[in-house]
Amino acid sequence: MFAIIQITLKGIFRDRVFQGIMVLAVLFLFIPSAASLSMRQVTELSITLSLSLISFILLLLSVFLGATSLWKDMERRYTFSVVSLPISRSSYLLGRFFGLALFIVLTSVILGAAGCLVIKICSGIYPPDRPVVWGYLVLAIGFATLKYILLVGVALLLSTVSTSFFLPVFGTICAFLASGVTQQVYEYVNSPIALQVVSPFFKPTVTLLYYLLPNLAGFDLNVNAIYSIAPDQSGLLLTVVYFVAYTAILMGGATLIFGHREMK
Amino acid sequence: MKYNKFLIPPHLLCLSGLLLYCLLIGPFTSYMRNKPIEEKLGYVPSIKLLKPLSADQKELTAASLVFKVMMYFGGLVSKAEQGTLIEQQPDLQGMSRLLHNAVRLDPYNMDAYYFAQGFLTWDARQFKVANDLLDYGMKYRDWDWQLPYFAGFNHAFFLKEYAKAAEYYKRAGELSGYDMYKSLAGRYLQESGQTELAIGYLHGMLRNANNQAVRQNYQTRLKAFQEVLRIEQARDQFKAERGGLPGSVEQLLQQGYLKPVPVDPYGGRFYLEPSGKVATTSKFAFATKNK
Amino acid sequence: MFALDIQGMGKSFKGKKRQVVEALQGLNLSIEQGEVFGFLGPNGAGKSTTIKCLMGLIKPTYGTATIMGEPIGSVASRMKVGFLPENPAFYDYLSAEEYLLFVGGIFKMSTALLARRTEEMLKLLELWDARKRPMRGYSKGMVQRVGLAQVLLHDPDLYILDEPMSGLDPLGRALVKNIIIDLKKRGKSVFFSTHITDDVEKVCDRVGVINKGQLLALDSVDHILQQGIEGYVVNITTVAGLREESFVTKSDLQIFIQRAISNQCLIEKIQPRRKDMEAFFLEIVAR
Repeated sequence: MFAIIQITLKGIFRDRVFQGIMVLAVLFLFIPSAASLSMRQVTELSITLSLSLISFILLLLSVFLGATSLWKDMERRYTFSVVSLPISRSSYLLGRFFGLALFIVLTSVILGAAGCLVIKICSGIYPPDRPVVWGYLVLAIGFATLKYILLVGVALLLSTVSTSFFLPVFGTICAFLASGVTQQVYEYVNSPIALQVVSPFFKPTVTLLYYLLPNLAGFDLNVNAIYSIAPDQSGLLLTVVYFVAYTAILMGGATLIFGHREMK
Repeated sequence: MKYNKFLIPPHLLCLSGLLLYCLLIGPFTSYMRNKPIEEKLGYVPSIKLLKPLSADQKELTAASLVFKVMMYFGGLVSKAEQGTLIEQQPDLQGMSRLLHNAVRLDPYNMDAYYFAQGFLTWDARQFKVANDLLDYGMKYRDWDWQLPYFAGFNHAFFLKEYAKAAEYYKRAGELSGYDMYKSLAGRYLQESGQTELAIGYLHGMLRNANNQAVRQNYQTRLKAFQEVLRIEQARDQFKAERGGLPGSVEQLLQQGYLKPVPVDPYGGRFYLEPSGKVATTSKFAFATKNK
Repeated sequence: MFALDIQGMGKSFKGKKRQVVEALQGLNLSIEQGEVFGFLGPNGAGKSTTIKCLMGLIKPTYGTATIMGEPIGSVASRMKVGFLPENPAFYDYLSAEEYLLFVGGIFKMSTALLARRTEEMLKLLELWDARKRPMRGYSKGMVQRVGLAQVLLHDPDLYILDEPMSGLDPLGRALVKNIIIDLKKRGKSVFFSTHITDDVEKVCDRVGVINKGQLLALDSVDHILQQGIEGYVVNITTVAGLREESFVTKSDLQIFIQRAISNQCLIEKIQPRRKDMEAFFLEIVAR
């Protein structure tokens, strides 16, 4: 499995898609000047922009690299030569997953460091009203990392089901978009006001989707980082456990499906 | 199949994940539901970033911003209706910011204007902000009678600028093709007609409200104003018969001018100010903890 | 213990319009250790299906098989075999050297052994100069050679090669043939599929012919060639110095020679004329 992890990382770093996406990191250089446009909250804006940029890059990486890594192996018939080696399919798949996860972690560490530097510069020039709490910032980046690792899991699960490129990529994007609103929609549907408007069929559907789709809203700590608001500790713990459980289900399902898949 | 010693079999992984998920999802859901409201409204990047990011989907982004605010507001109203105290002041500023962003992305988004008008005036009392927003909208939605109608109402009811209000009402009347708004303006553009003006306005708003949360909000307010009107009518009758202002609402009740006891739907108690103006202890808003 | 033992293995797919396609029907086949076995069949006969089942890429619908005593589909079975897929493709962002190191790692080879074997293989297959270049830039022949290097790297006792010579130039084919002959000398077992009869004739001990999912013939190459002798072409020079060439049937050869000697003719050449492997193959497949 470690061999697969290593190969995965090498593959990503030599991938044109990765190199293309990482060019976006150049945008960090523009954050200080963009943030100074704000009159009242330069530091806050620089934090916002940094976090958004990190999130955006991680999103692109997890969708495109996560969803294409298995697909590419099958499309280019690498699987024949690799799966026929003395390695179990689950090691192969989990190796891929951990490789991608490790890559996401590495990227967010590097981008996070760049972001912190940018924020440090901004807060040095324009001291904010509330001092930046670096711990919250690290926490926000950390949870964003977990979020995108989970998304990689979704992408891998989808690519074990499908032979095409579309389901993994667009499925993952849809899952990401949906996961941001499930919480709101779920709460709305279950609120007493909605009772009269919502059709009886709609409510169980939403509830089912709510439990089925990943709930990524819990991983969003941007507000806490930007305005230095202390996050709820037990909530964070719950979120981490949620991540572990959901990822375990995803990877368990993916290995089961991949284990039975015919390499024609 | 033989597995690597580092690995647990996939079905076991799947099952333990599911088990953990089932154990966890209850507390996790309740944690998410009870997350403080400000955090739930979330942080939306500034318009400078949002505009280029939404590329050719500006209308969609705008609609989703409005949707976000409506969901948030819906949650608040339902909590208030259930009688639980709202934990924090509603983030009116945040709502306003989101709606402003929405109309800058899509200046034609009527939901945003309609919604902003609702809470910026009664709840936030930011009349200037509300009117500026309406003026901005009127530049784009130049066929829409509702925006000048709202603006007219704001000027008449809140700002007491009757001349300006008449101007807006006239425009609303021209656009709608009804003379009703002009006549409405004429009838109520004076201090004494305020309550009826509000009732008329709320009736109009209610007719157009298809969002339940918004509807509920207007209904509550309408009920309150209808009660106020009843008290005002009793007060005026008292004044006509006795030649002086009554001392209190209780006096009107005791002496038979006011039949059923007026109920404030916001949970407050009506009283008469020394000038004779009807007021309530709830200030026409649900109680919040921080107040 | 057989190097490869297939017991009643079959595979059916769901084809178009939901009809069931029987790609392989109850194959029974055992390969002895040290044997080179040619699996001969036209395109779409079920050769690749058999090999994919053996390598655990697909699951047989029924039947079983073992590789060096290990049930197919297990990691242990794949540990004991070198497999070359048909038209192999390898991670093209890796160089040949990196790929071999990766494969050796999966075969749990020690670092020192792996380094030595990698160098040997790269030199043997003439990839040494290109070893640091990513495989993206390799020609088809080079990729095939990387495949062979990967197969030979951990020096297993059984080799399963799917169409090892297809699409190669004469030089490449000769290289593959020599490798197989060398393996045979070292007592290794080789199971390879092909649709080219010539390959089989030159290197195999035994051959199996498969068509439409069924094993139609199974015999040793010597026996087939022996059986295929139709007669002999004999060249003689008569006393008068005339050169003659005559075709003599198998049964007449003895008498012909005796008569020639008694007539004081000089027998210059006796050459068997036989059906070759190709004729044998065509005959079976046409049946």
